[in-house]
Amino acid sequence: MHPLNIKLFRDIGKMKGQMVSVSLIMSCGLAMMIMARSLILSLESTRDAYYEHNRFADVFCDVKRAPNALRSRLTQIPGVAAVETRVSGKITLDLPGLSEPADGVVLSLPEDRPQQLNLLFVRRGRLPESGSRSEVVVGEAFAKAHGFEPGNTISAIMHGARQTLKIVGIVLSPEYVFESRPGETLPDNRRFGVFWMNERELATAFELNGAFNNVLVDVAPGEAPASVMAELDRLLAPYGGLVAYDRKDHPSAVRLSDELRVMRGMSVAFPAVFLSIAAFMTSAMLTRLIRLQREQIAQLKAFGYSSSQVGIHYLKFALFIVVIGITVGGIAGTWLGTNVVIVYRRFFQFPLLTFHPDIRAIGVAFFVSAGAAFLGVIGAVRQAVKLPPAEAMRPEPPAEFRASLLERLGLARFASPGFRMILRNIERRPWQAFFTAFGLALATGIPVVPGAMRDGIDYILTFQWDKAQHQDVSLGLLEPGSGSALSDMRSLPGVMIAEPFRSVPARLRFGHHSRRLGVTGLPKESLLNRVLDESGHPVALPPDGLLVSAKLAEILGAKPGDRIILEVQEGQRPRREAVIQGLVTDYAGVAAYMEIDSLRKLMREGPTVSGAHLAVDADHWVEFLDRVKESPRIASLAIKSAVRQSFRKSTAEMIGLIQGLYFSFSIVVAFGVVYNSARIALSERSRDLATLRVIGFTHREVAAVMIGEIVILTLVALPVGLVIGSYLASAIVHTASTETVRLPLVLTSRTYATAVLIVLVSAAISCAVVSSRIRHLDLLSVLKSTE
Amino acid sequence: MDIAEIPAITNLPPPPSHGEERKPLFSARGLTKVYTTGAVDVRALDGVDLDLFAGELIVLLGASGSGKSTLLNNLGGLDLPTAGSLTYRGRDLAQANEDELTRFRRDSVGFVFQFYNLIPSLTARENVALITEIAHDPMDPEEALALVELTDRMDHFPSQMSGGQQQRVAIARAIAKRPEVLLCDEPTGALDVKTGITVLEAIEHANLELGTLTVIITHNATIADMADRVIHLSDGHIIDIRTNAHRRPVRSLAW
Repeated sequence: MHPLNIKLFRDIGKMKGQMVSVSLIMSCGLAMMIMARSLILSLESTRDAYYEHNRFADVFCDVKRAPNALRSRLTQIPGVAAVETRVSGKITLDLPGLSEPADGVVLSLPEDRPQQLNLLFVRRGRLPESGSRSEVVVGEAFAKAHGFEPGNTISAIMHGARQTLKIVGIVLSPEYVFESRPGETLPDNRRFGVFWMNERELATAFELNGAFNNVLVDVAPGEAPASVMAELDRLLAPYGGLVAYDRKDHPSAVRLSDELRVMRGMSVAFPAVFLSIAAFMTSAMLTRLIRLQREQIAQLKAFGYSSSQVGIHYLKFALFIVVIGITVGGIAGTWLGTNVVIVYRRFFQFPLLTFHPDIRAIGVAFFVSAGAAFLGVIGAVRQAVKLPPAEAMRPEPPAEFRASLLERLGLARFASPGFRMILRNIERRPWQAFFTAFGLALATGIPVVPGAMRDGIDYILTFQWDKAQHQDVSLGLLEPGSGSALSDMRSLPGVMIAEPFRSVPARLRFGHHSRRLGVTGLPKESLLNRVLDESGHPVALPPDGLLVSAKLAEILGAKPGDRIILEVQEGQRPRREAVIQGLVTDYAGVAAYMEIDSLRKLMREGPTVSGAHLAVDADHWVEFLDRVKESPRIASLAIKSAVRQSFRKSTAEMIGLIQGLYFSFSIVVAFGVVYNSARIALSERSRDLATLRVIGFTHREVAAVMIGEIVILTLVALPVGLVIGSYLASAIVHTASTETVRLPLVLTSRTYATAVLIVLVSAAISCAVVSSRIRHLDLLSVLKSTE
Repeated sequence: MDIAEIPAITNLPPPPSHGEERKPLFSARGLTKVYTTGAVDVRALDGVDLDLFAGELIVLLGASGSGKSTLLNNLGGLDLPTAGSLTYRGRDLAQANEDELTRFRRDSVGFVFQFYNLIPSLTARENVALITEIAHDPMDPEEALALVELTDRMDHFPSQMSGGQQQRVAIARAIAKRPEVLLCDEPTGALDVKTGITVLEAIEHANLELGTLTVIITHNATIADMADRVIHLSDGHIIDIRTNAHRRPVRSLAW
């Protein structure tokens, strides 16, 4: 090996602690970047391939009842590549091991023609045989949640009739990658399932013989879905068609692209901050090394090494840090990504979702971090190689100092000499002090994020389920019912209060923006399911107009007082202008509310209900559930405590992962920054410190002088860090705030205290490690040398 | 343990006046120091017997590697002997632990080094105050600086002073605690003749005014004339101890 490279490795060996700590900080940023970029790549490529291979439709539309003969007409719409017509229906399930009923969707599979769109992927078993009876295939997430296998049977109520269904296969569908009720934030796989069965049998069960109620369209490449949707709407309107929508409005597709958007936000900001700190630390460390090796550089040049050879030698130190950083970051990022993919598999159902490391991102990461590190070092290298050898062999002139700002202002009159040393050292190298403090501030800020997330979720739990929802259970009817349906629900065993709700599918338009959602009618002032404002106070529904989620107003670009267009997609499909009377606060999905009677008036209907929110006496709970299972008209049942528990369980896992990640990052940064600046301080001041020891300062007193600087910087950094952390949390909460789920920004003293504690403990350990080195200062050699 | 709780090695009455039987301040018997570097043992001190008395001014002469600095470092509690005994006021320094040696240096010893070893971030006054803050019965920094005639440079940083001025600050720092011992390792080694004289004058002044036992290492035989006794070392042995009948004032020295 070339002697210079031998020198390189020996020098690296001597400063391995510093090298490793800088590399680790760099690898935090790189791990985050590689993880996020790779997850984006994995999710996107898997999704695109799945959508492509299993022919996920581009346009979707529900219709009341259209004759099968219309299918060929739909095929002729310009721009249409393929059309699939289906029967879809809701079913209620009575499952062993589940006291409450579960619900689901059942979709038809064509028997007389090949399936064209939304092809199923058969995981186990087979598809129903043509002409067979009661054979179904079931979505994998639901099957897994209950341990169903081909050959099992389940009891279901389809369109009011109890039936035993035989599971013949476990399948996946591109339209249920996120297998949940439309608009739900987190999947509830125990209580919601998707089924497919033969078209004729299903049509018979739902009284749709020779007809369909659901259309899928594949738009030809290069054609705009908008014109296809408009034509589809026109053709289906006479048959009770709802407004067609494309993938942008498809619940499962939206949930997936929301996740990708969050990841994209994470893949840039975080890594940039980590890399800039690492670049600065590389610079500080190598600048110090070069200064110490001034004479060696002079000798090398005296022997005939060129400036560029010497320069490259020192850049190799930076390269070494980057290589270690990339290696550790790559491994950590891959490991993290693999673990996140495992969590993803629980949320997103793909035939095969594996982690693909984004090689290109690793390449970019390498060049970005190498570039940053080189930029940080190049100045010191140039300065060192510029000096003529004879001059470089002389020791550097003594460092110049002056009274610090505090002293010039007369504020440090009674400060001890030790304290003055500290102040002046900080002021002499303001950038070093700045980046040390900045690094520590960042380390303080990072753990604020998971704390804020955890508290945000706690807040949602309280807000959503303690303040907004006072019901024990919400029942949804299969078909909207009359006033008698409400009194039927009211007379179920144990029901103490029953409040009706009416839900109508609609599209809200304002300017160019529109959103499909259900408009919910509620009593003006309700006891159970309440609509809340930002501070959690119930809002009374106005006799006229709408209350909408703040997020919906943002999506539509509308504000209270604006007149929006309300296109109802049920019944006579009235189209009205309505005024946004106010905003309501919610954290999952988007909603629009009307006073129930004003909605009914709009629909030109009597006391129709879609379901009811109920308060049920706990003593009659079992009896109540049994009766609900027997009721053919009830399509869905949501038990508040169960939903809450499932929400808590699935978020707890995610928060645990994020918390572990952020806490480790914080510790790495705090420890690394303190360790490094203490090591640099020790190296720069070893002569001073040894002198202090010689003239009678104790080990502890000398350590205090060295550590004092870090203590001051830490004390400055902590409050700044808490502010940075609050902004960081706010930015991340904002990035992660999608239409499906939003986190409020909740910052508590517990979060701040945890952050401060993590940094203080890491810094203290790091200081202790370095100050133990003061014991080993070679007092005699330090005094003999001229530095 | 706080430094104040460590038992002092020096807790004795002031040095006896002339005429009584004088007890040595330092007493070395068979003092040996072996440095092991790699596979080679270097005997830096090899069985040195020596007594040093309060108020004396001693010059140590010898070639490089003769053991001068090792002897000085052992006297100052910066290094421990490998064999033999070294007592200070009857107390064995060879047996002292780290904290006791720190206490010894803090209370009793002043050091002056060839390269001054001032703290660059502190002014002259503050460099001296560094000592006066921790010493038992110090003089004011201003008083110490006046002794070395630097009253007008008190608020200058080391980088703003000449080598001779820096060395005089170092002397002021060393004597400000009124030490019983002042150890100077080549105090003029980095200075020109004229500056060297002013520095030696400051040391002589401290020795006479404060009655401090002063030990000076030098390569420069001319300086030996300012001493009470001149000790010559070679290869770790004392080869000669010469007593000057009369100390020559530093002012009259020239080299």
